[in-house]
Amino acid sequence: MLNRRALLASVAVVAAFGCKKGGGSGALKIAVIPKGTTHEFWKAVHAGAEKAGKEANVEIIWKGPLKEDDLKAQIDVVQSFTAQGVSGIVLAPLSDKALVGSVKAAVDQKIPVVIFDSDLAGQDHASFVATDNRAAGRVAGDEMVRLLGGKGKVAVLRYQEGSASTNHREEGFLEAARKGGLEIVSDNQYGGATTESALSKSESLLSAQNAASGGVNGVFAPNESTTFGMLLALQKSGLAGKLKFLGFDASDKLLDGLKKGELDGLVVQDPFKIGYLAVKTMAAHLRKEPVEKRVDTGAKLVTKQNLDTPEIQTLLHPPIQ
Amino acid sequence: MKLRRALNVPWVGPLLALIAVYVLFVVLRPDTFARTANLVTMARQTVVVGVATVGMTLVIVHGGIDLSVGSSVALTSVVVAKLLQGGHSPLTACLAGVLAAGVCGALNGALIARAKMLPFIVTLGTMSALRGAAKGLANEQKIDAPAGGLDALLSPLPPSRAWMLVPPGVWIAIAIAILFAWILRATRFGRHIYAIGSNEQTARLCGVRVERVKVSVYALAGLLAGVSGVMSFSNLTVGDPTTAMGLELDVIAAVVIGGGSLSGGEGSLLGAIFGACLMTVVKTGSTYVGLPNWVQEILTGAIIIVAVGLDRLRQKRTAR
Repeated sequence: MLNRRALLASVAVVAAFGCKKGGGSGALKIAVIPKGTTHEFWKAVHAGAEKAGKEANVEIIWKGPLKEDDLKAQIDVVQSFTAQGVSGIVLAPLSDKALVGSVKAAVDQKIPVVIFDSDLAGQDHASFVATDNRAAGRVAGDEMVRLLGGKGKVAVLRYQEGSASTNHREEGFLEAARKGGLEIVSDNQYGGATTESALSKSESLLSAQNAASGGVNGVFAPNESTTFGMLLALQKSGLAGKLKFLGFDASDKLLDGLKKGELDGLVVQDPFKIGYLAVKTMAAHLRKEPVEKRVDTGAKLVTKQNLDTPEIQTLLHPPIQ
Repeated sequence: MKLRRALNVPWVGPLLALIAVYVLFVVLRPDTFARTANLVTMARQTVVVGVATVGMTLVIVHGGIDLSVGSSVALTSVVVAKLLQGGHSPLTACLAGVLAAGVCGALNGALIARAKMLPFIVTLGTMSALRGAAKGLANEQKIDAPAGGLDALLSPLPPSRAWMLVPPGVWIAIAIAILFAWILRATRFGRHIYAIGSNEQTARLCGVRVERVKVSVYALAGLLAGVSGVMSFSNLTVGDPTTAMGLELDVIAAVVIGGGSLSGGEGSLLGAIFGACLMTVVKTGSTYVGLPNWVQEILTGAIIIVAVGLDRLRQKRTAR
């Protein structure tokens, strides 16, 4: 009996020591799970997350799905972090439905989850940190209406089925374009995950709609890979600069296109801020400070005119170490 | 009688299917789909898959499989972009890229022929390893590189060179297809490939140096995947480590539609090329008609199964 009590006591002591070690703010471990790791967008998110991690004195574990945009792989990553017992999970879900179960499982095990970049159904997560994508899509739609003077035919090259963030952008764009009196000639074609698939889809789309002879006056693409694929298709078919083209996100080649007048505008989110605020929100939540249910990180329309302003330049070139 | 004999040539079926599907879309969209510009676009879009299909035909006919094609294409595009970025000449970059893929192919071959491991397993492994290598080499992002004129391979022709009919990349692909069709049909090496695929033991007893042929086949498939990777770079003008994900499945589908059998010994290079073209026509046609992606995916799947089914019927008839 005594022996047993001694054993229990020693376990309690070890546990207490363990807690002390784990309870210090320096040992907070936050897993940050992006949708992929190769898009330049995610590099900036990563930099933002690291900065917030340093400021809030938490450890960041950055781990994306092994295969780009692979839903199953992302679910696996969430589950393995849950099993490891990290302090909190910051997740950009590849699907607004499929990750609900894994997130609930994590929250049930007292691991809070902050969703960022792309929305998740359900109420289990502590906060949602992202661009208001529908509003960002409307920015592009309104700009298209302005560029075309309120009449003309537009096409949307969608990104991928089941991706909530891009879907909201597409819907926001379509909503504003319809309201502004534009005719939508195509809105059911998807560019897919890679630039290559987006390029060949763009080429088919443009010639199917007779873009060369005025069948399309404006196009919109909702992320970096579809915008780049469409830009390449316009360049190859000699249509670049001849029709109005608005894209989303930025990269060197896209900014080149903007400078040459082949792109009329890019709606740019603030990936650095997204990563930064997501980790900050999680750290605050873990320290029992109150957090907003919805944190909007904003989006800006970049055009040839405002490209060189300092505000846009920091947005485009976030301080990545 | 003549017609029946013609139908028994393995590549006639895929060709007829290709024509039928093309005509179908022309009828559905006569004003846009039938334009020559569209034909040229579809030819350009088939090049990456087409060149890889040539290599896969060799592999499948000799009774193997190569799942690492897509990853080799991505790796090549990254190597090419990296070298161009480092200021090397386009020719050096292309040669190095193709060679890198060739070495990977030879490695596949060595593991399969010398270490006696199953092709499916070995190439499943290299598929993952090469994809990882491509991502690592590219620092996990797209590499922006000066195209160095390589983009002209697959860009639509400027009016001054309209006499070429299709861009140089398409001609290169056609030349490669003809060369390997000849090798398969008319050389000893080609007959050895068929012999090993039909019955490896018999081939060995007849004095075919099975291991050597196998290594050469995988090395050639690697080199061709490399050429395909150069084409992919020329198309995108960036080195993209995530490109060509799942390409191996399109390529295998093309070979199978073209009459190839996964148990080896059968397959036609021309048929496989027609198979690759068929898939491009379906993809492009679906966009012209405005079909959503899911319908297009069902269509592609149905075509693969119907094509193989018809081919089995043909073989049964021939056997009788």
